[in-house]
Amino acid sequence: MVAELQNGTRKRKAPENDTIKLANIDLPQDVGLDMLSDDGGEEGAEETDGEADEFPGIDVESDTDDLEGENSEEEGESDFDESSVEEVSDTELQIFPKAKTITSDITGQPKKVYPEIEPDYDSDSSTEDDPNRAGNVPMHWYDDLPHVGYDVNGKKVLRPVKGDELDKFLETVEDPSSWTTAFDKSTQADKLLTSEELDLIRRLHAGENPDGNYDPYEPTIEWFTGKGKEEVMPLTSAPEPKRRWVPSKWEKQKVMKIVRAIRQGRILPSKPKSDKPQFYSLWSTPASDHPPPLPAPKPKLPTHAESYNPPAEYLPTDAEKAEWEATDKEDRDRDFLPKKYSALRLVPGYDQFIQERFSRQLDLYMAPRIQRKKLNIDPESLIPKLPSPNSLKPFPNYRATRFLHGAGKARCLSISPDGAWVASGDEKGVVSLWEVLVGREVQRWTFKGIIGAIEWCPRTDVSYLVVGVEDHLHFLIPPNLPPAVQMLTLSVLAPATLPAAPPTPSPIKWVSTPASQFDSGSPVLTLHLPASSGLPKQITWHRRGDYLATVSGTDQATVWIHQVTRRHSQAPFRKVKGSVQLVQFHPTKPHFFVATQRYVRMYDLAAQKLLKSLMPGLKWISSMDIHSSGDHLIVGGYDRKLCWFDLELSDKPYKILRYHTRAIRSLHFHPTYPLFASSSDDGTIQIFHSRVYSDLMTDPLIVPLKILRGHEVRDGLGVLQVKWCPGQPWLVSAGADGGVGVWCS
Amino acid sequence: MAEGVTLPVVFTTQTPYPIPAQKFMIPATWKRYQLSQLINKSLSLPKPVPFDFLIKGEVLRVSLAEWCSEKDFGMEETLQIEYIESVMPPQRMADIPHDDWVSSVVCLVPGFFVTGSYDGVIRVFNSSQKLTQTVSGHTAPITSVCILHSRQTGDAYSDAETRIIASASHDLTARLTSLSLSSSPSASLEDPNSNPLSKPKALASLHLHTAPLSSIQASPSGEHILTASWDKLIGVWDTTVPSHDEVPLEHEERKKRRKVAADAAEMDAEAPRRKAPVSVLKSHTGRVMKAIFDHKGAKAYSCALDSTVRVWDVESGVCVETISASEKPFIDLISSSDGSALLAASTDRSITAYDPRLFSSSLSSSAPPAIASLTQQSTPSSLSPSPSNTHQFVSGGYDGVVRLWDVRSVKGAVASFRYTGDANVNGSGEGKGGKVLALDWARGLVGVGGENGLDVWKIGEGSNVE
Repeated sequence: MVAELQNGTRKRKAPENDTIKLANIDLPQDVGLDMLSDDGGEEGAEETDGEADEFPGIDVESDTDDLEGENSEEEGESDFDESSVEEVSDTELQIFPKAKTITSDITGQPKKVYPEIEPDYDSDSSTEDDPNRAGNVPMHWYDDLPHVGYDVNGKKVLRPVKGDELDKFLETVEDPSSWTTAFDKSTQADKLLTSEELDLIRRLHAGENPDGNYDPYEPTIEWFTGKGKEEVMPLTSAPEPKRRWVPSKWEKQKVMKIVRAIRQGRILPSKPKSDKPQFYSLWSTPASDHPPPLPAPKPKLPTHAESYNPPAEYLPTDAEKAEWEATDKEDRDRDFLPKKYSALRLVPGYDQFIQERFSRQLDLYMAPRIQRKKLNIDPESLIPKLPSPNSLKPFPNYRATRFLHGAGKARCLSISPDGAWVASGDEKGVVSLWEVLVGREVQRWTFKGIIGAIEWCPRTDVSYLVVGVEDHLHFLIPPNLPPAVQMLTLSVLAPATLPAAPPTPSPIKWVSTPASQFDSGSPVLTLHLPASSGLPKQITWHRRGDYLATVSGTDQATVWIHQVTRRHSQAPFRKVKGSVQLVQFHPTKPHFFVATQRYVRMYDLAAQKLLKSLMPGLKWISSMDIHSSGDHLIVGGYDRKLCWFDLELSDKPYKILRYHTRAIRSLHFHPTYPLFASSSDDGTIQIFHSRVYSDLMTDPLIVPLKILRGHEVRDGLGVLQVKWCPGQPWLVSAGADGGVGVWCS
Repeated sequence: MAEGVTLPVVFTTQTPYPIPAQKFMIPATWKRYQLSQLINKSLSLPKPVPFDFLIKGEVLRVSLAEWCSEKDFGMEETLQIEYIESVMPPQRMADIPHDDWVSSVVCLVPGFFVTGSYDGVIRVFNSSQKLTQTVSGHTAPITSVCILHSRQTGDAYSDAETRIIASASHDLTARLTSLSLSSSPSASLEDPNSNPLSKPKALASLHLHTAPLSSIQASPSGEHILTASWDKLIGVWDTTVPSHDEVPLEHEERKKRRKVAADAAEMDAEAPRRKAPVSVLKSHTGRVMKAIFDHKGAKAYSCALDSTVRVWDVESGVCVETISASEKPFIDLISSSDGSALLAASTDRSITAYDPRLFSSSLSSSAPPAIASLTQQSTPSSLSPSPSNTHQFVSGGYDGVVRLWDVRSVKGAVASFRYTGDANVNGSGEGKGGKVLALDWARGLVGVGGENGLDVWKIGEGSNVE
């Protein structure tokens, strides 16, 4: 508006100035350029500069729509000619009629002559022939006068006759049209309203449009929509406007303005840069601990079906279309229907554009991409599938009886080959023989010192047991034997004719009581081990019952193999690396296992050579037992671990189990049932199911079955030895609390 | 629970006190006492008889409403209630201390208790708990003792007071000893010469087994004896005393015997005759723990640690039937007083009931199923049937608790008491009795033998107590 008013007053100005003013108004103020008012004096310079240099690097096509709109205005204005359209612009722009100055015919003086006012709708004066021409003056000026004003010829307009109130009333009663009259101020009389006026009053009163010709319900005229006018193409067929390819004048002016500002020094094109050094350490800022932003997932490449002109086999049939339409949007396998267009320019606009953008924004806002570190693994699936312990019955699960040794710790025990008797030894030197089931002691032998080991001879035709005490091995015969067995046992242990002395004398003396002086309360045969050889830690029998091996001593333990029938003892190893912990005969082959502190070595006794050296990886081996098949060996250590060796497989353990909380003390395989037990210093005994398959391909099955608790831990020692009862799934355990328990199924 | 709720109930019984089978509407708040009164009133018994009530094999201990809510039993359904004569709480009558563990108790003879002990001595106590006689002869612990029913023979033992006691021992023999059980209180150990008749006389020693004997049992008629041993054999013997040794004495043993019993050399003249078995029953593959006759004496039952119960025809000496339980090493076996049930205790803490009438009829068919299985907390070491009630029996466990069971009430024991014995015998001094090893129930008295001597308890059935 301001621009137009100025245009009206200073119309002769150059069009450049006008456009600059427009730009001055519309230019956003935060451009940062210092713009001084340069209306007047710069025109010459502008002409020359405009020709001289183009501002480089401005693309004409980058004009925005707003600029185009301004440009079109500018073009419209710039097309005006100064001389031709002067009157038109006057009528448009001037409010008051312009006076002409002419020379009066009468006086000869110049005078102003206004043009004749045409009484049309636009004219200022009213067309009504109002008789009173007094003008818009207060009518009370004429209150004391007989007239109310003057007509157009200057004659007085007399006041109309005005009746009294009674006349007024009678008039309202008699005249039917009196309600359509209204008081006219200029004539000071009632005037009959026309029907148009009445209709106008009614409309105003009803709040309607006062124009009676106005039709609020006139039919719409479809200029751009409707049948035949659908716009299937997003493109318009209008010819490319000229401004698209003609360099923009407006932009040129803008640029020139900047150029002038730069020339005058109002804009500094190369400001001094900030004091940031040119080279700086890229890595000086600490790396953020956030993970780097994730790369966006790669969209799938479009296939033939997404082509605008796909092969016919990609086009859906009507049934497929109907099915696609019927399914929910979420359930569709693809979110479009392939369509065929003969030409790319016939492809309509993407109708899902807005929805897709919206859902994409929604995705970004609601579901940010997160790197999930959590593994989605069902913890149950990590547990190996093991059969239920209930299906692996029988195994011992409760303590049936308990035999108490007086004060000492029960250190060792052995069960007779028929499974009826238990011999247990304690640290006070007492060996008790008692029934497994009832727990009643039937015989007691007392020796000096600690009982180190007890082992029953595995032969069934004779019956005796070997007890190891300090430097001695005692052979004991249980009471109440059948006469035949007793005789045979005596003849084995105390033969009437001693066998021939071995060629190499042994330091071990075999002293036996003559059979005639036999008393079941004392040992029938005693082996005097070399003096200070220490306590026999272990006694183990060969399965035939003729050879037995003992390990005695603590630091440098010595291994002896004794042969009962020949009454001869020998030390099989001259020098052993490491201290021997345990020895064991192979159940079927002439092999011999020796466990030192770290390793288990397997010797062939017949060939007298080392077969194998097993590395359990334990720090200190405490116990060892071999499966009755002879192919599997378990080794327990003081460092709580149990190693299962498959002798056919490897020198390394097949399985390492660590389940006890304290050192393992004893291990035993059941001779017939697929069971083994381990006892520990934590006072518990654990029972395992250990099924060994004769098939070499199948790994042994080891299932933990039961933890037996009941032994007290005393002086840091728990259950010192466990043995299985032959023929029954019963376990006998000797504990440091002095109790020997029988655990039944 | 509202006061007015009633339950439809039908009563059944096997006692001699039946009431007409009809449906009763019983208030839900009633307990055993009100139900027992109802039965008594409806029968108008001259003497009130207390009853116990079994619902679904369980003794009713709470009110009917509580039982229903506990078991989720609908209030509209008809309850089947079986009633039995209730058992009075057992009362401890006496305890008789022993020097050693008591392995066997017999209280069959009125007024006397015969115990076999682990010190190898049979002791006879009279009703005033005085030790009247001791029988020694075994050199090893005695495991089982039984008294033969008196048999009028033409021998010197025609005196009705004289009985034959059979004992089995760890020394591989069983012995038959005759002794006179005089009820006169004057006969006591302090003065053994006052009554010469009371001196026990060893009649015979039974030689078969090569392993300790686990039980000895006499037939109801007293003519036969069964011995079970750890050497998997069962010996059948008659009770006649042979005139000469049927089994030769082994040379070595004679020497040993002489040495051991050198001071008793003068007894050689009166040495017991060495007797051989009539037949030997062998099929078991494990230690035989018990062998008993059935109530008629024609058949024998045996149980062993090989998890089998076998039925034998004694005449022919063959195994007629084998019941194989899976992994139940049986340690004791009894037959109920009328032979209708066979109860076997095993080391898996269960007592299994079998019906011998079922498997005697069907030959070589599959073993009959157990009709009931009762579970207790410890190993049941010994069983004894009720002399009068065919459904009741007592079991003693290694935990020192004697439980009274009713076969119909499988869920729990009807009554239980703790065997205490003489607590200071073995120096254990723990106040509890230790293991129960032997039980005998006769004449309303239960003799309980174990680690700490003999306990005598009185268990009366309902009818006897009143």
